[in-house]
Amino acid sequence: MIYLFQLVNGIGLGMLYFLLAVGLSIIFGLLHFVNFAHGAFYLLGAYLVYDMTERGVNFWAGLLLAPIIVAGLAALTETVLLRRIYHLPHTFHILVTVGLALVVQELVIILWGPVGGNVSPPDALGGVFILGDFIYPQYRLFVIGLTLVLAIGLWWLLEGTRLGAVVRAGSESTDMVSLLGIDIVRVNTAVFALGAGLAGLAGALAAPIRGVEPFMGIEALGIAFVVVVIGGMGSYTGALIAGLLVGIVQSVMATLWPEGARLMIYLGMGLVILTMPRGLLGRA
Amino acid sequence: MNRASLHFLLAALVAAALPLFMRSGTLASEVLIFAMAAAACNLLLGYTGLLSFGQGIFFGLGSYAVGLTLLHTSLPLSLALALSTLAGAVAATGVGWLSIRRQGVYFVMLTLAFSQFFYFLAYTFKDVTGGDNGLLNIPRPAIGPFTLGNSWSYYTFVAVLFLFVFAALQRVASSTFGRTLLAVRDNEERARAIGFPVRLFKITAFAVSGAVTGLAGALHALLIGVAPLSSIEYHMSESILIMTIIGGTGNLFASVLGAGFYVIVSDLLSSIWPRWLLLLGGLLVVVALFMQKGLWGLLERLVEALRSGRKSPVEAPVRPESEGRGI
Repeated sequence: MIYLFQLVNGIGLGMLYFLLAVGLSIIFGLLHFVNFAHGAFYLLGAYLVYDMTERGVNFWAGLLLAPIIVAGLAALTETVLLRRIYHLPHTFHILVTVGLALVVQELVIILWGPVGGNVSPPDALGGVFILGDFIYPQYRLFVIGLTLVLAIGLWWLLEGTRLGAVVRAGSESTDMVSLLGIDIVRVNTAVFALGAGLAGLAGALAAPIRGVEPFMGIEALGIAFVVVVIGGMGSYTGALIAGLLVGIVQSVMATLWPEGARLMIYLGMGLVILTMPRGLLGRA
Repeated sequence: MNRASLHFLLAALVAAALPLFMRSGTLASEVLIFAMAAAACNLLLGYTGLLSFGQGIFFGLGSYAVGLTLLHTSLPLSLALALSTLAGAVAATGVGWLSIRRQGVYFVMLTLAFSQFFYFLAYTFKDVTGGDNGLLNIPRPAIGPFTLGNSWSYYTFVAVLFLFVFAALQRVASSTFGRTLLAVRDNEERARAIGFPVRLFKITAFAVSGAVTGLAGALHALLIGVAPLSSIEYHMSESILIMTIIGGTGNLFASVLGAGFYVIVSDLLSSIWPRWLLLLGGLLVVVALFMQKGLWGLLERLVEALRSGRKSPVEAPVRPESEGRGI
């Protein structure tokens, strides 16, 4: 039973990792932009929910608003700064976004202090779900349900809509897409905001589970990197499979060896790199 | 005088001048320790084109190695430092070997992930590393006839090692090996096609960089008497990288400038405003966008302006092939 519990925990965690990594992944796929500030968007999402619930705003409103605010800020950053450096080598993307991430992290500490805090799940989901011997926190089940719906929605957005077609075509050749008369500059901003918003949402959803603290951003960035290294950048399926895998490994290991659970994620990544340097799906 | 000797002379000048205008030997030692770490990072970034977020791993392991050796064995300081250097080199060989299996962005992400791995490793094995508290009460024994208890006598020891390491890194950079690294940096495909064992060269660059960074970490642990968990954190990797970039990646002396700037400014500002890292983040963006040759580039332009006097300002000369490029 403990393993079933941890398996379900792992699925919840894995779906959050998926949200986090898929944002990074689609931004890289379309824009060929390496966003080391992705963890900072996750951090902001978590802190916005924390701030709003502390001020007495309804949790649901916070959960809806936080990712929208994060996406808005991301769109602004993209328009003002980032779109000017797309043409530069990746090293510049990394340095600029590392600088931005540092700025965001310090701003968070200035605004909310270095200690962090807890976010309580909404009253409606504060209890536990009981099915025979299986007892599980309702909020975590809600997270799994919501992220599943989002994952399907995102898949439809990428595979079934015009925007998705543009994004997929743009991943192959942005010049071609521009020649077809599509305003790729606006699509870029939209995709960047979408990716950042997903990271913000992952942070917001994670806040009641793990609390908030200023250095959760860098931890999230490390995990997102593990997921995309295993699953491949620019791949929706890769992010989903690798996200779930990492989440489940971490959860199950938490029972076997609590202190070493996070260690195992990185050890697992080392093994994958060693045996399959191209990642699980074998893409470049 | 050729460029290398000029840069060495400048490094020696810095080491000699620091005691004249620094109030504390601890701070002065810290400048030279991080100058070593930044120069080692520069060997990877400026000369080989490898942006590594793993430098903190080697720094932290060096700290732990010297601490554990001095606390649990009766080996002399020189051997303890040698073990730290070795620890840095071995870890760097491993991390390098695994990370260079992927190129470009994936490579950078892997180094960051490994840096998280070693952080959690140090955090998990609290019995060995002291976990959050760090490894405490590391002694600073005498080396041969010289006692290092006084902060300025320790500075002298660090300065001698620094100059030795700096000269050694210069030798590495100007050797056939170092020049081949430049070829790898500028065009990896071509270097491979010519027949250079590119992978081996990259791993060797990692090993050299890791050795120096491990030594720097050990000297830092001896300086403060603690091997803290923060030495192996992501933030340490980030700091070393930022020092290197702010200094400029064109030559090894630029890293000394970057480390000096970082350590001194952080000492001045952190007492006034603990959140000064905010400014540092902004500075990193500015340097990456507008000042790609870093402080060294600024210095070069200044010298150029002074030389040309009232003559119309001339563009800085194009870098010679043996010099590293901006970032």
